[in-house]
Amino acid sequence: MGSTRTRRKNGQQTAIAYHERLEKSDLLEIYRRLWFARIFDEALYDAKKKGRLRRGNVYGSRGQEAIQVGTTYPLRPDDFVSPIHRDMPVFVFRGMTPEQVMCQIWGKANAPTRGKDSWSHMGDMSLGIVHSTSMLGSTIAVACGVLWAQRLDGRRDRVLVAYTGEGATATGPFHEGLNFAAVHKLPLIVVVENNQYAYSTPVELEVPTETVADRAKGYGIPGYCIDGNDVLEVYNTTCAALEHARAGNGPVLIECVTYRLQGHADHDETRARQYRPVEEIELWEKRDPLPRYRQYLLKTGLFSEAELPEPPPDIVEQIQKAIEYAISSPDPEPHTALEDIYDESAGVSR
Amino acid sequence: MREVTFLEAIRLAMWEEMERDPNVFVIGEDIGRMGGAFGVTSGFFEHFGEDRVIDSPISETAIIAVAVGAAAAGKRGIAEMQFIDFISYGFDQVVNVAGTWLYRSGGKTPIPIVVRGPSGGYVGGSLYHSQQFEAWFFHTPGVKVVQPAFPDDAYGLMKAAIRDNNPVVFYEHKYLYRRIKGAIPDASEDYIVRLGEARIRRYGSDITVVTYGAMVHFALEAAQRLEKEGISLEVIDLRTIKPLDMETILESVCKTSKVLIVYEAPKTGGVGAEISARITEQAFEWLDAPIVRVAAKDAFVPFAEPLEKFVLPSVDDIVFAARELAAY
Ligand SMILES: Cc1ncc(C[n+]2csc(CCOP(=O)(O)OP(=O)(O)O)c2C)c(N)n1
Repeated sequence: MGSTRTRRKNGQQTAIAYHERLEKSDLLEIYRRLWFARIFDEALYDAKKKGRLRRGNVYGSRGQEAIQVGTTYPLRPDDFVSPIHRDMPVFVFRGMTPEQVMCQIWGKANAPTRGKDSWSHMGDMSLGIVHSTSMLGSTIAVACGVLWAQRLDGRRDRVLVAYTGEGATATGPFHEGLNFAAVHKLPLIVVVENNQYAYSTPVELEVPTETVADRAKGYGIPGYCIDGNDVLEVYNTTCAALEHARAGNGPVLIECVTYRLQGHADHDETRARQYRPVEEIELWEKRDPLPRYRQYLLKTGLFSEAELPEPPPDIVEQIQKAIEYAISSPDPEPHTALEDIYDESAGVSR
Repeated sequence: MREVTFLEAIRLAMWEEMERDPNVFVIGEDIGRMGGAFGVTSGFFEHFGEDRVIDSPISETAIIAVAVGAAAAGKRGIAEMQFIDFISYGFDQVVNVAGTWLYRSGGKTPIPIVVRGPSGGYVGGSLYHSQQFEAWFFHTPGVKVVQPAFPDDAYGLMKAAIRDNNPVVFYEHKYLYRRIKGAIPDASEDYIVRLGEARIRRYGSDITVVTYGAMVHFALEAAQRLEKEGISLEVIDLRTIKPLDMETILESVCKTSKVLIVYEAPKTGGVGAEISARITEQAFEWLDAPIVRVAAKDAFVPFAEPLEKFVLPSVDDIVFAARELAAY
């Protein structure tokens, strides 16, 4: 059984404890973000179950919160991210409002895509959030173009963090993109969220190397293989990768080993307990990144129990309010379906 | 006869062909141990084993390429796209590799593959889980394109597609998978629906409706509604989109003199354009009215319900168009 897979044998790890530079307020903010991600996920599953969300799938990220938080916390405001289906909270961490994200999920007129697309297929270039599609892997290659534009603008220091599942590392565009980035030393950080299953397919049937990070060797770039359920390890590794990339040394691959605690999406809950051993799921429940980080904070002696509520009630309220906002927001007008297909606003490039 | 869903008809066709011919195999994502995202290959892995039921990494290029390479070496691969939209990653394999192989081998090496998967809208699948771009492959020499509407056809056409010596792109409308049930012949009958033959699903006298896929059901519903108004539709289900069965279409056109072409893909450059052109080329003097197309608007399939409804053709659209055509 692959349940004890932590797969850290070959991967590089950072020795530098960047997190020691964090203030108490940062440590608390990280705690709150972990909870934001958790509650976000729970609230959507609940809305789906209760029939309040009637369209689209919910791709859960329960158990993967440390990656969402740890990879975004050290970023500069002018860095880029390209979140995919299991990274919804990243949109908020990088500047979208919870209301915008919920409107996207509910397909409302005031959503970033104006109801045209669903879930994570959105972005906002002004916030450095690069739109991805359903086509797994494709954004890794697109990221190279975004970074090349920065090079043309004399901004070689802006980094792009591109997310992918371990399964999607089997696609052509993943390889072509990373190869291109490595050849041209682009500041691309590819975060592989190795939750050990691509839908029903275990990582062994997606990736032939011992770790996903081993793939980095083929591009001559650093490949880290880290504990994706330890938010500070994720944070530290991201800091190291950022230094490497910003200094012009090219891309970095970070494999965050974690586990998909739920089904592939909300429709997959029953099956996901059939194609995976239940003991494996239960084992990973115990590696939940939230209590782990809370334990760490308490040990620092900087926080009292009362300072670390589970969950923070104001975040529960914030997310609930965003959902209510989305539900009461107007649906898009039918004719707007024909808008945004071409941009005829100018004859010259912007 | 067996009463089955549309999905089960496809499953049984593949199953029986794999039983009949050890050269047939299936390849795709999550198709083995899980039995496929929609369950079209459920039970295959246990029965046929891992060499003939291949769980592939997320690599559409490789999935199709493996089927193609194996076909060149004498096998018959069925490649599942988890959603047919993802065939875009394997486009080159279908168009440039599979499509041309016979041609560039001096007729020596046929490529008998089926690339199949769920297509189409009406389920809130949004941009990348709703597409119907059969026109891409309709435009490709060397490739056949099939889209059934009923379980018996899905069953017979899938068998024919597997036995056919050419690359076949097989569209399975996901809206029909579990909604549509019907009787299919028993395995012992070795029932086949030959590729390239349309079927008249409803006889009528006023207007010929040429359609395929989920739109057949819409057209039949429209026909039922219009019957009460005294407008009689003849509904032709193409079943195979390429090669086109012009004979059946022209025969009907000569009878009704009015043509409505219904398809779910964006109107511009769609299959309907070719059908319309051929009818005007071959039966212009039989026409009493301009040929009319009901199709999706020239947009992507959007997510929000009011948007999706606006873009995709509806039964109402067919009814209105047919009324106008009848009055012409
Ligand atoms: C090119 C492509 N093929 C297939 C799919 C269907 N699909 C969506 S998610 C998924 C599994 C992805 O696995 P992984 O990359 O490991 O990410 P995870 O879902 O585990 O986070 C698949 C096969 C897709 N979206 N794109």
